[in-house]
Amino acid sequence: MDKTLIIGYGSPIRGDDAIGPLAVERLVERGLPAGVEAIARHVLTAELVTELAGRERVIFLDAAAGGEPGMVQVHCLEPDADAHSTMAHFLDPSELLAWCRQLYGQAPEAYLITATGACFDYAHCQLSPVAEAALDRLLEQVERVWGFEQDSKI
Amino acid sequence: MSRTITIEPVTRIEGHARITLQLGEDGRLEDARFHLTQFRGFEKFCEGRPYREMPALTARTCGICPVSHIIASNKACDHLLAVDIPPTGEKLRRIMNLAQLVQSHALSFFHLSSPDLLLGWDSDPTTRNIFGVMRQNPELARDGIRLRQIGQTIIETLGGKKIHPTWVVPGGVSEPLSAEKRESMLKLLPEGLEIAKRTYAFYKTLVPRFKDEAAHFGTQPTLFLSLVTPQGNLEHYDGVLRVKDAQGLILEDQVPPEEYGRLIGEAVEDFSYMKFPYYKPQGYPQGIYRVGPLARLNNVQACGTPYADVALAEFHMLQDSGPIVSSFHYHYARLVEIIYGLEMIERLLKDPAILDTRVRARARSNRYEGIGVAEAPRGTLMHHYRIDDDGLITWLNLVIATGHNNLAMNQSIREVAEAYVDGNAIEEGMLNRVEAVIRCYDPCLSCASHAFGQMPLAIELRDAAGRVVDRLTR
Repeated sequence: MDKTLIIGYGSPIRGDDAIGPLAVERLVERGLPAGVEAIARHVLTAELVTELAGRERVIFLDAAAGGEPGMVQVHCLEPDADAHSTMAHFLDPSELLAWCRQLYGQAPEAYLITATGACFDYAHCQLSPVAEAALDRLLEQVERVWGFEQDSKI
Repeated sequence: MSRTITIEPVTRIEGHARITLQLGEDGRLEDARFHLTQFRGFEKFCEGRPYREMPALTARTCGICPVSHIIASNKACDHLLAVDIPPTGEKLRRIMNLAQLVQSHALSFFHLSSPDLLLGWDSDPTTRNIFGVMRQNPELARDGIRLRQIGQTIIETLGGKKIHPTWVVPGGVSEPLSAEKRESMLKLLPEGLEIAKRTYAFYKTLVPRFKDEAAHFGTQPTLFLSLVTPQGNLEHYDGVLRVKDAQGLILEDQVPPEEYGRLIGEAVEDFSYMKFPYYKPQGYPQGIYRVGPLARLNNVQACGTPYADVALAEFHMLQDSGPIVSSFHYHYARLVEIIYGLEMIERLLKDPAILDTRVRARARSNRYEGIGVAEAPRGTLMHHYRIDDDGLITWLNLVIATGHNNLAMNQSIREVAEAYVDGNAIEEGMLNRVEAVIRCYDPCLSCASHAFGQMPLAIELRDAAGRVVDRLTR
């Protein structure tokens, strides 16, 4: 199992919401370094917790709806059992980490990297110009984070 | 003073709904209703679209059971093409439909209902959720996640993705199965079956604790509707319709699915966006029937796989004789069907013909009307389309599994409320039982929103003038 897991998630048919899965596609095209695995998902489902178990680091990539369109942010995540998404078939990343810690004893170091979208109308894997520009900056942040030592902080 | 108790939203179900309990002057229940509060409109906005878009469009009805809609919709399209799909194409579709059954039933049992079953209906609502289950029985929680993962992985292996796969197409499936994919799926099954058997054995030890709930959770007599094989065994993909009554008398048998309209009428009420299907020969609202795992097991003589047949025999022993009437035992039936699903997937994958490359029949539309019926996890799912000369949809009717159960769910909440709710001293556990009887049916109200866990629950008591005289929240 690779030490680092990248999960890009979002709907491929809701405009800039596709930025997470598209980021994963770009990363795979460029070639991932040893020890890094990347997967794309529509939403964070409960069974993803088995993918987190045993990893040292997980990086979530998602679109954000709030703030200035195009803004890229990196957040450190902690397990949060109270971050109930109240949804039966998709979870909040902090909730997923809490599931991992509760069921498998520990959760990986985790980061959430977001890019604020400009348009979430129907469009199949097609980003707005603002989000397209943000995608490159998001990928730079991903490469920074996967290069961190275990005790590094943002 | 008459009062109304409103439970909104109903939690740990798929979608948004509300329950209202109308109490009389003496605090006793006068009426109870289950309201679907969201409107979708698929039957209207699909009009004018090409029929080949229907599988992808109607699959968006739900993020939990898109596979079920994809199967029923493509069967309706097969009917429009007037083709018999290649046998291997049909078997591959069956595998995907069963994988959907496994993952959906796992979600219902482990994630949505286990907090009540393990922690108790009267336990602290702030911890009566999946985290409470993880703390009390982490192995069960891990098993639930793994079982769902196995079902989802099979769907993804076949369809290319877990949600809204496009591999099933009118006339069959778009690609044959490779030997490599077959092996990868076969490797998952022993572990899945082990989990399913272990959970089933564990649940059997719990069942005696629930005598009181089993005696009040939807025990009023109803009919049971499902597909069965021509021999009367368990069937989820094809077959014929059977209707059995609460005494076990078969009222309808060997009915081709295309004749569903002869059996089922659809009524509407002004308090819900869900339709009220009923058994036509008995009229509305008397023609109450149930669908889903409980109905399917009640309607068959055998499952047709070894361990599931043992479990089916034990299921029938829950009652001295006749069909199992308590809706509480939907949970039990779901576990039997998970076992069946895994056993049957293994059988289908081991069929040497499963690697045959002829998996799709190609044709243009040759009929103006197509009907596709399959068993979704929650019950019989019907897609019915009419098209014009250009292949555009002029009319469609969707009879969703949860809709079939609408009258029965309303009847069930009345029964539970009468048994447990004291209008003069409301306790949260009473109201949770009213919600829990709905969870037995595992209703899927839409993919728009899927509530579970600790969503705020507000119960208000109102006087005859509509003034709030008491309020309980969590």
